[in-house]
Amino acid sequence: MINSVLRFSAIIVILILLQVLVLNNIQFSGFVNPYVYIMIVLLLPSLTPAWLVLSVSFLSGLVIDLFSGSPGMHASATLLAGFSRQYVLRLISPRDGYESGSDLSMAAYGFRWFVTYTAVIVLIHHTALFFLEVFRFTDFFRTIFRILLSSFFTIGFILLIERYRKGR
Amino acid sequence: MRNLLNFLLKYNNLIVFLILEGIALYWLTAGNSYHNSRMVKTMQGVTRGMEVRFSNIRSYLNLREINENLAAENNALRNRIGRITSPDNLKFVSVNDSQFRQQYNYISSRLINNSVNKQKNFFTLDKGRRQGIEVDMAVAEGENVAGVIVGCSENFSVAISLINLDFRLSARIKSNGYFGSLSWDGRNYRHALLNEIPQHINVVEGDTVETTGYSAIFPEGMLIGRVSDIKKSGSDFYNITIELFTDFKKLQYVNVIGNLKRTEQLGLENQLQ
Repeated sequence: MINSVLRFSAIIVILILLQVLVLNNIQFSGFVNPYVYIMIVLLLPSLTPAWLVLSVSFLSGLVIDLFSGSPGMHASATLLAGFSRQYVLRLISPRDGYESGSDLSMAAYGFRWFVTYTAVIVLIHHTALFFLEVFRFTDFFRTIFRILLSSFFTIGFILLIERYRKGR
Repeated sequence: MRNLLNFLLKYNNLIVFLILEGIALYWLTAGNSYHNSRMVKTMQGVTRGMEVRFSNIRSYLNLREINENLAAENNALRNRIGRITSPDNLKFVSVNDSQFRQQYNYISSRLINNSVNKQKNFFTLDKGRRQGIEVDMAVAEGENVAGVIVGCSENFSVAISLINLDFRLSARIKSNGYFGSLSWDGRNYRHALLNEIPQHINVVEGDTVETTGYSAIFPEGMLIGRVSDIKKSGSDFYNITIELFTDFKKLQYVNVIGNLKRTEQLGLENQLQ
């Protein structure tokens, strides 16, 4: 248990640092901002109580906000992703259900399941985030385009990291 | 209490989510001046929309008052124009002229009250003694007879309408000059009766009926109407129905005609009777 908590704390710190120090400084043509830190929400064990998921997602969003000078934006978007996590998990649960205490990883539930899971959560997060950023519905399709493009890159990064993680 | 606790337990996720999301959104709007201004603007947009709607309703409810104010203002301006232009000036000019040849004095006026559906119809004019109108002046619409002034105040006057059971006027048939007495029978506001035309006279439908000038009220030769129906009665006289030229239902602007030599004429007549 303690082991698990330490491991996830480490994952959280690493992901936040990766996001803040590396990915926030990458500019893909102004349109693309991969937000890989959402992986924190993805990777929390299936048995994590809902309030803990919410708190963790809120706090990690808060930290990202503090570092990137965008008060409230990431916090609310990540919180929404954390809130919808339980419903997404229920929706795409594998036939045998989730093994208690298992990691929600590609290794445990397969590539296909993990891609679906990641895609849904990332899309929810990015949609909330980008609309909160522009904070209006004019240029609706432009915003949608940015959401899709950034989601694509974020999902790509997450799959890459997950594959590397698994490889270890 | 127990239910409340159950409720809180059941929806604890949602409640935690909503609280945290509220904090995040508050932070978002408070921390970003852009989001803040957009939020404020949206709120203002909503409230302004309601405000506009309410003010529309309010202005609609105030229409009556506004109308009254406008009408008052209109009349004030009209009075000012009236003071500057004709009627008062006309009074002075015409009175001076009356020393020479002018016999009749014309004052234009507007109806402010009228009726056609009673047995004794009167109408009210917007001018009175101050504008030179006196009792027993004639009222005409252009060349057509309309009534006679029966009462004056400072600024208003009331005229007895031709379509009043008490109205009498001496009238004659233009083509042959025979005169009779004009009255109204109280039935149709478009028709009046011409009495006392003897049966030996040839009267044709369509003959014009005009004033005689005997009464010293109307000038001679003002138009009254056209003969529309002739009936022989048991007596010596025709029952002649006249279609009036004046349409009392749309009577609006009239001339009040004063006979400047009326006093002289009546004085002479009284002296000899």
